[in-house]
Amino acid sequence: MTAGTRTRLPGLVLVSPLLLILLFAFIAPALLMVPLSLREYVPGSGISANWTLANYTSIVTDEYFREVVVRTLVLGFGVTAICLLLGYPLAYFIAHSGPTMRLTLTMLVIFPMLLNLVVRSFGWIALLANRGLINNLLIDVGLIERPIRMMFNLFGLLVGMSHIFLPFMVLMLVPAIQAIPKDVQSAAYTLAASRLRVFWSITLPMSAPGILSGSILVFVLTISALVTPRMLGGPTYKVMATLIYDDFLQTLDWPAGAAMSFALTALTMLVIGVSSRLMKRWGGQA
Amino acid sequence: MNEERSRFGILGIAAFGVVAFLQIPVLVVVLAAFSKTAYLTIPPKGLTLHWFEVVLRDSEYLGAAWTSLWLATAATAAALVLGLLAAYAIHRRMVPFAASLTGLMMAPLILPSVVLGVALLQYYTLTGMRGNSVGLWLAHVVITVPYVVRACLSSLTAVDESLEDAARVLGADGFTSFRLVTLPLVKPGLVAGGLFAFITSLDNVPVSVFLLSASQTTLPVKIFTSVEQGVDPSVAAVSTLLIVATGVVLLLAERWTGFHKHV
Amino acid sequence: MPALTLDRLEKRYAEHTAASSVSLSVEDGEFISLLGPSGCGKTTVLRMVAGLIEPTGGRILIDGRDVTRLPTNKRNIGLVFQSYALFPHMTVFENVAFGLRRQGVDGADLKRRVDQALANVRLDGLGDRMPRQLSGGQQQRVAVARSIAPRPSILLFDEPLSNLDASLRDQMQIELKRLQREVGITTLFVTHDQGEAMSMSDRVCVLAHGVVQQFDTPEAIYHRPATGFVASFIGRPNRFKGTVQRAGVQVDGGPWLPAGVGALNGLPEKTAVDAVLRQEDVRFLRADESAGFVLDGRIALRAFVGSRVQYVVAVGGIELIAEAQTNGAHAALDIDAAVRLAVDPQHVYVNAAQPQEAA
Repeated sequence: MTAGTRTRLPGLVLVSPLLLILLFAFIAPALLMVPLSLREYVPGSGISANWTLANYTSIVTDEYFREVVVRTLVLGFGVTAICLLLGYPLAYFIAHSGPTMRLTLTMLVIFPMLLNLVVRSFGWIALLANRGLINNLLIDVGLIERPIRMMFNLFGLLVGMSHIFLPFMVLMLVPAIQAIPKDVQSAAYTLAASRLRVFWSITLPMSAPGILSGSILVFVLTISALVTPRMLGGPTYKVMATLIYDDFLQTLDWPAGAAMSFALTALTMLVIGVSSRLMKRWGGQA
Repeated sequence: MNEERSRFGILGIAAFGVVAFLQIPVLVVVLAAFSKTAYLTIPPKGLTLHWFEVVLRDSEYLGAAWTSLWLATAATAAALVLGLLAAYAIHRRMVPFAASLTGLMMAPLILPSVVLGVALLQYYTLTGMRGNSVGLWLAHVVITVPYVVRACLSSLTAVDESLEDAARVLGADGFTSFRLVTLPLVKPGLVAGGLFAFITSLDNVPVSVFLLSASQTTLPVKIFTSVEQGVDPSVAAVSTLLIVATGVVLLLAERWTGFHKHV
Repeated sequence: MPALTLDRLEKRYAEHTAASSVSLSVEDGEFISLLGPSGCGKTTVLRMVAGLIEPTGGRILIDGRDVTRLPTNKRNIGLVFQSYALFPHMTVFENVAFGLRRQGVDGADLKRRVDQALANVRLDGLGDRMPRQLSGGQQQRVAVARSIAPRPSILLFDEPLSNLDASLRDQMQIELKRLQREVGITTLFVTHDQGEAMSMSDRVCVLAHGVVQQFDTPEAIYHRPATGFVASFIGRPNRFKGTVQRAGVQVDGGPWLPAGVGALNGLPEKTAVDAVLRQEDVRFLRADESAGFVLDGRIALRAFVGSRVQYVVAVGGIELIAEAQTNGAHAALDIDAAVRLAVDPQHVYVNAAQPQEAA
């Protein structure tokens, strides 16, 4: 615990290799995207030497871009809501279970998380495709005649991504619910509150920090996701991330892609910033 | 804790329902891998190991698997060393602006992977490193090191600070006290962080897909791009093999350290 | 040559000064306590002696050597931490052997020294256990064994007994004192518990706000407190504010108390002062007894503490706490009973009023 100049040098030595790598492979690339996003792109001849703000303004003015941005946000909110609705009961159950049950369930929640994302998305393709498991089952049983279109639309993305990010929500909620002192709930019972009232007035508000942090995490992951929207949405039903992907690898409109990247990043930062403000304010609750 | 017996009823059913829902795609993939037909039905129209054969004979799949493995190993190794050293320096307040430094090291987690991927694509193109393995490795170190730093910081916080002081009083110099006292106690954090780092690298698509050269690919990227060309049960077979591998690794890690406490 | 000398030791932080011009010297084999309330600087002083904190001024000399700039691991001292700081991943044997290994001791020699250290603290045979398998008291003894095994020149204790429950604490006080005497090692013991400090030490150094208040034998500290702080920190005090009047103190809103010879120290009339009268120094008088100075009062509250009975007595406008022996004549006085209290002027300690008295 010796504070002072004696330990300054070794500290810097320990930290600088990582800092250098971050500088070279993280900060510098990110900064270089800025000039790229301000360059003009001429279809057919590539990136010109002119500067322009068109890449940014078109995000707001172009109808197609607006649609993609709105779709991304709707997806974000939708997935977050579904994850909350499905995840909270599970988290509550886990938090109130005995050690063995808790361990088993936690393992079962973590296991899909550690599987390859591509594999899980592929699983949903196998389920939701026109010739996928669900449609084949419904047709065989006779409930429908023609396959229901569950992929390449909002439905497929909502279902698939809720499944992918549900474990994150659960893992954020469990410690928050566990952290609620049992005494507070007991105190409410002694004051003649019903189980429902205790849940509504005490448990739910006191798990608010967990709800918030879980929601933020899921929301940010959803709007940033590339793999699942590409696999379940196909090349035509785009969100911001897949649009960036196409810009850089298909149409080669790098400036537009860079501008869209900053838009996506700004959204992410905004959400995180607002939520940490909220967290600070609610800090005293849990 | 288990006093609410009647509550178990509805809540328990809901909980188990959600857990079952979480496993469904995994089961579907495994089912598809064994299914005779290229499309899926329940019950399946026949079982076969044919697709596994196809995959294990395909040199492209094997090559991709190999690339993924060495990349993940190399990235994790670097992340462990760099992350631990940095976490230690930050924890012991050996550097100024500890909070900002921690934030910087965690930043790759917040930045959307796809943005990092395209930024590196442009950057490597400009510096002539496009398609270079070292560049790919550096990118993977950047995305894995936050997990190591976070896990190590959490582990270090649990270590009584007086322990290193005690070692010093007993005659050990700084490095010896780190090696004999702190390092053994930070091991759970290293294992947890390392595991997360390895899996993150192995899994990664949004960064890798932009940085691979024509001649090399990683396993998840190969699956990703081949799905675009049409669903093929060999994809399911590869996926099943991956599922099994992940399951084994998870069980081993849990047995070894009980790392679920550090998730 | 003294075993340990602190020469105007100082630790100054941006917001406050933890230790200010602390000077003391400790003879070889002495048991010294650093006593004071939390925040008084005693732990800071200890950690400076250990080398874990760098002083901003002053010197530390061990056996005549200036060690002020010497790193911790070269000072050859022992330190028993409040949390024991046992290495949780090593056996008891390895814990105790740690310091010896750093000195290059190994093999049969190592085993002999470790076994001896464990025998010193009466933990023979527990070498293979892990710290978490031991009770609090046993862990503490391992910490002590670990510190003395390398034969340091000075042994430091940082409030080692505060995590133990009361009966175990009393027992450990005796054991530590006995051990120290057997091994003959110079010891510096930090505590906030005055009973502990007084009973174990050859000399006690009382600290408040980073300044040495008094450094003397326990008897001297108790009977001849040098400052108002010491007077009110040691023993169980009644504290009053008042003004100097005639050869005594006129307590604000209360009675007049006589001060002992020289106690007023030349303070002029009407000076604002703090006066201390210890609970144990107030004597109940039977109806037929007389004394030099007597206060008349009425019992307001009675509390049975076990070894003594405490009374809150209303006396001339104020209340003070007085004690009686449990098996004495005054053990069972009723509420509202009229009583007579004897006060020896020598037990009235007076100091010029401080702007802020430590609570």
